[in-house]
Amino acid sequence: MKRKRRTEILINSPDELAEELAKEIEQIYLLKVVQEPENGLVMLKVRETAKKSLFYLGEVFVTECKVKIQDSIGIGIVKGDKPKLAYYLAIIDAAYGASLRETRAWTSILEEKEKELLEQKIAHNQEILKTKVSFETMDVS
Amino acid sequence: MGYVAVKGGTIAIEESINRLTSERLQKGLVLDIKNIEAGLRGLIDQVMSESSLYHETLAALAIKQAEGNPEEAVFLLRAYRSTLPRKHYSKVIESEEIKVERRISASFKDIPGGQLLGATTDYTHRLLNFSLMNESEKEAQEWLSKFNEEIGHNSEKSEIISLTFPKVLDYLREEGLIAPCGNNDVEPHDVTRKSLEFPSSRSERLQILTRGQTGAVTSLAYASIRGYGAVHPTVGELRVGQLPIHISHPFELGEEEDDYYIGEVKVTEVEMLIPVAVEREYGEKDLDFEVGYGLCFGQNETKAISMSILDYSLEHPNHAFPSHNEEFVLYHIDSVESTGFISHLKMPHYVTFQSKLDSVRKTKTTSKKDEVSMVEQSL
Repeated sequence: MKRKRRTEILINSPDELAEELAKEIEQIYLLKVVQEPENGLVMLKVRETAKKSLFYLGEVFVTECKVKIQDSIGIGIVKGDKPKLAYYLAIIDAAYGASLRETRAWTSILEEKEKELLEQKIAHNQEILKTKVSFETMDVS
Repeated sequence: MGYVAVKGGTIAIEESINRLTSERLQKGLVLDIKNIEAGLRGLIDQVMSESSLYHETLAALAIKQAEGNPEEAVFLLRAYRSTLPRKHYSKVIESEEIKVERRISASFKDIPGGQLLGATTDYTHRLLNFSLMNESEKEAQEWLSKFNEEIGHNSEKSEIISLTFPKVLDYLREEGLIAPCGNNDVEPHDVTRKSLEFPSSRSERLQILTRGQTGAVTSLAYASIRGYGAVHPTVGELRVGQLPIHISHPFELGEEEDDYYIGEVKVTEVEMLIPVAVEREYGEKDLDFEVGYGLCFGQNETKAISMSILDYSLEHPNHAFPSHNEEFVLYHIDSVESTGFISHLKMPHYVTFQSKLDSVRKTKTTSKKDEVSMVEQSL
């Protein structure tokens, strides 16, 4: 599973999912923490729609961690102050980078979680759609 | 104007800081950060937007420390931000990706996807709700479970996975009512890295407007509509929702699917339609629409609307109106700069004031002497 999809699933799921997968790797492989979880900023570059040019909206507070497994350096980065989650994400990223065999079994776990998230999203969207306006045009003749 | 350092008052300052803490605590209650985060959404969004730093918990902490004073909270967050390393720049965020929670148009009744009111005070009676005086957590939980239960039972079943919609502007562009425009990928300037110089770039203007003080941005936009400007706007589309953020791998070139998702931020976006007269061939005049743009952190609708008005004003400089003058607008709307300068006036200016006092005394003495000599001459 590609990084964009898996990081979205892992970050939007309860932290226990990332913890569970990372612990699996931690127990078997030798890890080296290249960068302890630390706070920092990510500047947001956005496109405005009047002239379709770019500008900086502001910065978002993040936690970032780097972990090395074999020759692969994994990065864990997440919005907010979440040192443990950043560490687990870095291990998972490094595990995928090193193509560890454990990652093959993760695909089905992540896909299952993705389905749950989708159901939650649909329920959330239904909630918002309840505020959709149904206009009635008044007869003024 | 000269500045002179003074010494003294250390003990008084220490006692003053103790006094400040006692003002915060003297009622014997301590505000929980979680309570601020849960119940003061509007203030948190305002503080995050003005400090240009997105983190609800830190904003709640700043609000607690500042005893609810937004200008002080923004100052605290801006100062803290300056201690943090900037680790990455996000991939370009296209606002079409916004996961809509609220979306309205004042220009068109029927917009594709419909108008979603979301959470808004727009249609509430502005009457004080005295039942909130004694609201309990138990009652809140009961209300929430009833609300969630009703959603589960009463909603029409839909399979809408993503509430993302096409832009109203795109339809107007397709119809030729707004001039078409392609993507401009010129790297933006960053006012936090390089001081503003005039004439400013569009990216600098938008960055300063989005981090501007809500009240200042609103007042100048209001003045612009009332007559101290030349703008007659209508909201084409207003959206509130979550924007997903992605970053590229810092060392490896990869495809879009290799990006990191790091989370989402809540924003308010406004596309303002402004009719303008355009001169055609043989002196004929047509009406066209131009667009003013507003985007800010959190649900700050008045600010985003005001930003879009000032964006248009500054795109059309006009020395007859201060709201169309970039130096007037951009130099005066920043919370830390304006409140910092105004509040520094209460700091000691003893030596500079003494020198002014001496000058005034000398002037008075000289004019008295002149009066005496004139009287003597007339005698």
